[in-house]
Amino acid sequence: PAARAAAVALGYLRYLRGGPGRALELRALRRARRQDIDDVGHKYYLELELEDVLDKDRTVNCTAEVLYHLGNKSSAPDVQVTVQGELRSTEEADQEFYNRIRSLEKELVAENIPDSHGNVPPELEPIRLLAGVASGYLIWQNSTENTKFHLAQVKRVKQVKRSDEDLQFDYVVLLHEMVSQEVIPWEVTVLWHPRRGGRVSRDRRQPPHGPG
Amino acid sequence: MRLSVLLAALVAVATCTETFVGHQVLRVVPKSDEELLKVQELQGLEHLQLDFWLAPRGLGFPVDIRVPFRSLQPVKAHLEASGVSYSIMIEDVQALVDEEQTEMLRSSRQLPLTTNTFNYEAYHTLDEIYNFMDMLVAENPNLVSKLEIGRSTENRPLYVLKFSTGGTNRPAVWIDTGIHSREWVTQASGVWFAKKIVQDHSNNEGVASILKTMDIFLEIVTNPDGFAFTQTSNRMWRKTRSKHSGSICIGVDPNRNWDAGFGEAGASSNPCTETYHGPYANSEPEVKSIVDFVKSHGNIKAFVSIHSYSQLLLYPYGYTETPVPDQKELHELSAKAVAALSSLYGTNYKYGSIITTIYRASGGTIDWTYNQGIKYSFTFELRDTGRYGFLLPAKQIVPTAEETWLALKVIMEHARDNMY
Repeated sequence: PAARAAAVALGYLRYLRGGPGRALELRALRRARRQDIDDVGHKYYLELELEDVLDKDRTVNCTAEVLYHLGNKSSAPDVQVTVQGELRSTEEADQEFYNRIRSLEKELVAENIPDSHGNVPPELEPIRLLAGVASGYLIWQNSTENTKFHLAQVKRVKQVKRSDEDLQFDYVVLLHEMVSQEVIPWEVTVLWHPRRGGRVSRDRRQPPHGPG
Repeated sequence: MRLSVLLAALVAVATCTETFVGHQVLRVVPKSDEELLKVQELQGLEHLQLDFWLAPRGLGFPVDIRVPFRSLQPVKAHLEASGVSYSIMIEDVQALVDEEQTEMLRSSRQLPLTTNTFNYEAYHTLDEIYNFMDMLVAENPNLVSKLEIGRSTENRPLYVLKFSTGGTNRPAVWIDTGIHSREWVTQASGVWFAKKIVQDHSNNEGVASILKTMDIFLEIVTNPDGFAFTQTSNRMWRKTRSKHSGSICIGVDPNRNWDAGFGEAGASSNPCTETYHGPYANSEPEVKSIVDFVKSHGNIKAFVSIHSYSQLLLYPYGYTETPVPDQKELHELSAKAVAALSSLYGTNYKYGSIITTIYRASGGTIDWTYNQGIKYSFTFELRDTGRYGFLLPAKQIVPTAEETWLALKVIMEHARDNMY
């Protein structure tokens, strides 16, 4: 249960602070405490150790509070995360990525990241990390105490050129839900800018899978 | 060998293809301007027909020269006369070319000729794994045999490798991988385990001592229909591929289909879900075949079912919160096994009973095997913790298998030393 709350906190943090140059992972759940608040819900107090996989030598500690609301299943958990210290700056990588995508003649299109064998071509790694930002949002918004989501795969991504300064990517991501073991396709559109960060502009859950 | 070289030369002459018989590749690293000059002089001597693989760049940079057979003597003389040292990088270029040809033919047929040339660092198809099993048995007929314990829904053979140094119905260890087909690192690890057992036995180390008194059974592709489906259609397929009347949906979760708390909370009765338990216990041939095998063998002492991902070592129960009678011993054994696993690459595992560590799950494999009296019943969830999940990069296969093997050995040794 605490691990599920940690996954929500991580999703939230990825959405807020993630980007094409930052790969936040949970290294350890150091401490967890649950508080049952009458008529409100269950609140988890967490101490997490995170790492940016692209900067492996450094771990960052953070505290998080995750409040799952009672009954109201359609309401996202309230999350607060405080990062102690600084996350490694990704300004350069972000700008490089931004310039590279902006200069593409044809809109970027890709499928199956990683592929069946776990491979990610290096030039698609930032695309995958950006999918992690989008998934972070989905995980935060859609989690309950009885779910634990992970981004399983980017099924499809299509860049949409815009007249303003944002980059737009339309993703279909596969989210793996641990408790039911379902793999759920989800359409999600991300707008991203090196200085403004990323935000999800639209999302739509697809049914888990056909009959087989 | 001589004959083939001669033939190659004749064929080459006849067909006008180039041959490199007797050619050598020499390496010179010029350490002074004089030496550099001497090497550059060679470039001008066209009649020597030298082929510079690495052209002279400057002092300290290697210069690699392919020298045809009849130019070897003059080139070496030229260098030696000026005190320029050289080394022979390739003694016979043609030999390398021939080797490469063979290798390319081999890989274009997609069949390694021995388990020594099998690529353990890659994911393989069902055919490749079945072929591997046959090779392993052929290479080690006194140790390894292949048993067919049944057939899958789509009529694929269910194969179990038996590792035994003799005896009759010795106490045994069972390991299965790939029961959930999308968990690819498990089948890949199973292949590695099979080879490891053989190697240990040859070198009289590791599990060789266990094999003196116990047999090991290893089912590498426990769900071949699902596995084939992950290769051809849906990489994320988990279940079997059975179709039961009353639903258009396909497949039963083979880890909810066992007769332990079957159908209770912790499995789904909806055929279209991933944890569908099936119409009744052991409805799936993949499960029934193991049940029949375990019952008729009657002497299995340790049973390990391997899954991914999450990095967990689990013992029963999943279908009830009641702790197993042997809880203390299993918990302590888990601690030891996990410590051994982590010692190799620092991979972090958690451990505990299924229900307290992940979730309630009914009809699970090791709950049934434990209730059959197999005290040392464990489930592993291998790497990773979600970064790649089911799509674990192939280069992590061997490290994962290596560290898991250390934990398995702890369990097997404990079973051997605590016979019941």
